[in-house]
Amino acid sequence: MKDNFSDVEQRVKRYWYTDGIGELAGGGLFLLIGLYFAGHEWSSSNSLVRTLLDSSLVLLLIGGAYATRWLVNILKTRLTYPRTGYVDYGTSRKDTSSGRFLTGAIAVGVSMLLVILGKFVGSFDWLPSFTGLLFGIILMTVIARVSGLGRFFLLGGFCIILGLALSFSGLPTDYSLALLYGLTGLASMLSGGIVLLRYLRENPILADAERQNER
Amino acid sequence: MSDDLRIVTELDRLIHEPARLLIVTILSSVASADFLYLQRETGLTKGNLSAHLSKLEEAGYVQIEKTFKGKLPLTVCKLTTSGQKALKAYRQQLQSFMKMTG
Repeated sequence: MKDNFSDVEQRVKRYWYTDGIGELAGGGLFLLIGLYFAGHEWSSSNSLVRTLLDSSLVLLLIGGAYATRWLVNILKTRLTYPRTGYVDYGTSRKDTSSGRFLTGAIAVGVSMLLVILGKFVGSFDWLPSFTGLLFGIILMTVIARVSGLGRFFLLGGFCIILGLALSFSGLPTDYSLALLYGLTGLASMLSGGIVLLRYLRENPILADAERQNER
Repeated sequence: MSDDLRIVTELDRLIHEPARLLIVTILSSVASADFLYLQRETGLTKGNLSAHLSKLEEAGYVQIEKTFKGKLPLTVCKLTTSGQKALKAYRQQLQSFMKMTG
């Protein structure tokens, strides 16, 4: 039995990532964003497809985030909770509103920085390396640190290297972004898929009778 | 009696028991968790976990509710405000003791 408070707390937080479902669903969303940029690159500038794509990015991001959350919830309810138990991480109302404000402020700040840098440099060739670096930092400093899982360090490192490589590849920006999001999504899905398969193999579902004996 | 020994005698015995301490520490990190998760994390048997939860519930430290997540029946446990305060006080007492003796 562990007696270290922070060890126990980290183990509890790590449980969210134990089944790989989050990576699988998040990777799927990244893959869709990658396809969006690929479609943007391949469609001609005045076509209907381009107009539809231009007007649907916000919908894709917001709708995709909600769909991902819904999918994760469904999969965890069917696969994880009957096997290893249910945990509601929840957040207080205060934490949620301050968190949302902080996320919004960072998003606005980063967007403004991107526009200023774009005007200053005169091109967006650096955008893939910037995006890769941003994902890498988030994966390594937030998710890997909170969960204590090494696979997120690897995924973060992959994002940074891929972003840098694409920036120096000479490919059009949209195409580079399509590859960055698409390959990051595939790597995340692969990692999540392997983790999920191992999780399902190691944790057979409990019989109903066994669950009924609780308390 | 010396101050450091007095702190030990003043510790909340309900929380000081290792299995219950683990249960409340787990519950303090989340909004709620179900019986199966607590059983797996603590390594306790069903009967043992049930007995410890009953004691914590009687003391008003833990709230237990039978509910459903979709079609899945769950026994969900949640640390009450009183339980959070008790754990916080316990940790502070333990830290004071460690400072005095360390």
